Amino acid sequence: MNTLKQNLPSIDAIFPYIGTVLLILGGSYFFPQILGFDYLAQQLQIAAFLGFLALGATLVILLGHIDLSVPWVLGGAAIVSTSLVGSGNPALATLAIPAALIFGGLVGIINGVGVAILRIPSMVWTLAVNSMLLGVAVLNTGGFNPKGEASGTMIWLATGNLAGLPVAFMVWVGATGIIALLLKKSAFGRYLSSIGYNEKATFLSGVSTPSVIFAAFAIAGLCSALGGVMLAGYANQAYQSMGDPFLLPTIAAVVIGGTSILGGRGSLIGTVGGVLFITLLTSILSVMQMSDAWRNIIFGLIIIIMLLLQTLRRKGS
Amino acid sequence: MSRSEHPIVRLCGVSKTYGATHALSDVDFSCFGGEIHAVLGENGAGKSTLMKLVSGVIQPTSGSIEVDNTITRLKGPADAISRGLVCMFQELSLVPDLSVRENLMLGAVGSGLGRLDTGVVQRAQNTLAQIDGGGIGMRTRVADLTLAERQQVEIAKALTRDPKLLILDEATSALNASVVEKVFRLIREERDRGVGVLFISHRFHEIETLADRVSIFRNGTHVETFDNGAYDYGAIISKMVGQRIDDLFPAKPSTAPDAEEVLRLDGFGWANSLKDVSIVLRKGQITGLGGLDGQGQGDVLQGLFGLLKGTEGRCIVAGTPVSITHPKQAKNPKLGIALVPEDRKTEGLILDQSIARNLELAALGTDGINASDPAIYQPFLDALELKCDSLDQPVTELSGGNQQKVALTKWLALGPRCMLLADPTRGIDVKTKTQIYALLRRLADSGVAILLVSTDYEELIHLCDETHIFYQGRVARHLTGRDVTAEAIIGASLNIPSSAETSEVANA
Repeated sequence: MNTLKQNLPSIDAIFPYIGTVLLILGGSYFFPQILGFDYLAQQLQIAAFLGFLALGATLVILLGHIDLSVPWVLGGAAIVSTSLVGSGNPALATLAIPAALIFGGLVGIINGVGVAILRIPSMVWTLAVNSMLLGVAVLNTGGFNPKGEASGTMIWLATGNLAGLPVAFMVWVGATGIIALLLKKSAFGRYLSSIGYNEKATFLSGVSTPSVIFAAFAIAGLCSALGGVMLAGYANQAYQSMGDPFLLPTIAAVVIGGTSILGGRGSLIGTVGGVLFITLLTSILSVMQMSDAWRNIIFGLIIIIMLLLQTLRRKGS
Repeated sequence: MSRSEHPIVRLCGVSKTYGATHALSDVDFSCFGGEIHAVLGENGAGKSTLMKLVSGVIQPTSGSIEVDNTITRLKGPADAISRGLVCMFQELSLVPDLSVRENLMLGAVGSGLGRLDTGVVQRAQNTLAQIDGGGIGMRTRVADLTLAERQQVEIAKALTRDPKLLILDEATSALNASVVEKVFRLIREERDRGVGVLFISHRFHEIETLADRVSIFRNGTHVETFDNGAYDYGAIISKMVGQRIDDLFPAKPSTAPDAEEVLRLDGFGWANSLKDVSIVLRKGQITGLGGLDGQGQGDVLQGLFGLLKGTEGRCIVAGTPVSITHPKQAKNPKLGIALVPEDRKTEGLILDQSIARNLELAALGTDGINASDPAIYQPFLDALELKCDSLDQPVTELSGGNQQKVALTKWLALGPRCMLLADPTRGIDVKTKTQIYALLRRLADSGVAILLVSTDYEELIHLCDETHIFYQGRVARHLTGRDVTAEAIIGASLNIPSSAETSEVANA
């Protein structure tokens, strides 16, 4: 209802921002350059790659499902776009980005079919889809890094600057804004979290729940593909398993952002905070030049602490 | 059939409460060896609670249970079985994914720590052969058996436990008459060996042929115990019914049997659960569907709301034949059908969401309705006197009655032509009940057709203009006007011939 204040960001969503600020302040104690504009702008650029993935993942997790096909939708989209550009045919090169997005959307729809119609648990179905995409990619490239390069547009999207801010960050904020508007203003957004809380009751309220699940997975596929295009532009190439390191940080960013892994409760604004937090944490840990082993342990510990604090606070209230 | 001197089990002043509901209050009850003791009562009378207490599944809230004249606390089903109290439950207790053989050995006497007694299987096979179950393969997965075969295995399994007291809760509900007769012979043999039998059945004639003594339960109290044959059907039924409340219900307007038809079902059927059901809903009428649990009443509502695949027969809404395949289609103003489901906590509402969000969910995306306008809900919330701090409060914080008000209002705001209600007052306090009854009557007066499934025959008598009683997927009887009496409803629910015929049967 219009009079209700339900869409104000909840404390859950503000939480990761507080964490981010603390990280910056804490990090700057050791490395003053962290407070510099260049460093922060670079972090925003890097955050955008994770941000696209987490944007799509938020929709799926709000539904109460999960999308584990993120790595190879990202990898596949990168391969599709760079191969088209690398073909040398300018007509095909202009199709690079749309083709990658269509690829992502199609995989999303396949995920939707498995989850909404065949009723296979999303965790299993999307894992299988991920594995099959990996197989197709290896068949296609013979196991070597795929040939090809990024187009000028892709490189600009990933590394360009506009009015001093990274283009990637602005595209991310724009995409997040559009989807946030969709969630807030349309019935789709309402259905999404209702299904996450209780699919049966939502269905019995006369909602076509399969089409909502379809749409969410399709949007998630699009977002992962966009992330792949960006990352290919950033690296100026696609490479095997380029998406693998992103899967867990994506889910971590969504959950730290206050979205319940069981579905229903959550927000995009929180996910943005979660993405910023995870990106900065990774960056600061690598700046500190400690061994990989310790970096992984501390990364895991801090995520657990964040989640514990969220849970404790919620229980307390 | 000499009855043992001391009761095998005796309940003294036993009560069992779940939260605010009294499942059993202050019950004294004994059962003896060498006697078949039937327990009769309506749904919710406390029969199943009694069985669960005696078989150790639950513990009494107060009072004591004596086994063989010593006060005993039954720690669990295993404890009860070791004392010879063996229960065969109506919610079948076999593990579906294990074979028949494995199920028979599961928890059998003398097994444990991997030692399995295969003698049990041989004895069970002998028992099965006596009750037409000889063809059941020991290696068959239980999930692949029919319901009747599963009941036969259950009976055989129970008998291998060497019971002193055998508890049969609807043990024969899926068996046909000739098998039932064989099971009865077996039960009588057990009795003649001195075993006590507690027998629950909704089939009157079974109790008449089998029982030595009969106990009647009503609303969690033990009404009376008497020798079989001491009373006729009519007397037994009125003992099951008890007294009534009249001012709970709004006054019924004079019926208009020729009112405009809103919805008509012709020969409606679904799989094996629903056969040849024909019902007419008219403008301004409240039509009741009654019967024992799970006789197909609920399936009618689900079918009308597009939840069942492959229904047979014709459905005509406002003069047009329709085929309803999805709730979204049913709620479309063209059809205007709304369903308030049976379980408000998991089906009717999203408990973690706010009242406002729950109210909007059905109206969202419906043509010509602005779901976000609180004004479309307010009149109903006022009429039902919803008690809440604000509409932003999560539904989970409301009492059961207030939750049901939200579940009702959510659909009323759509202005439905036809309301389907599945037991809307179950587990709700009396005050809320009167508010809901009054609202339903007002809705009917405003032209809505209401179809109400109820397990409470008071509602069928005093709220509904006419009532269809279901028995095994069919309309056993259609009651209107003065024919709608508690006796007629219970009689039809148990598929006993109507009152005129009953007296003939009793005299015969």
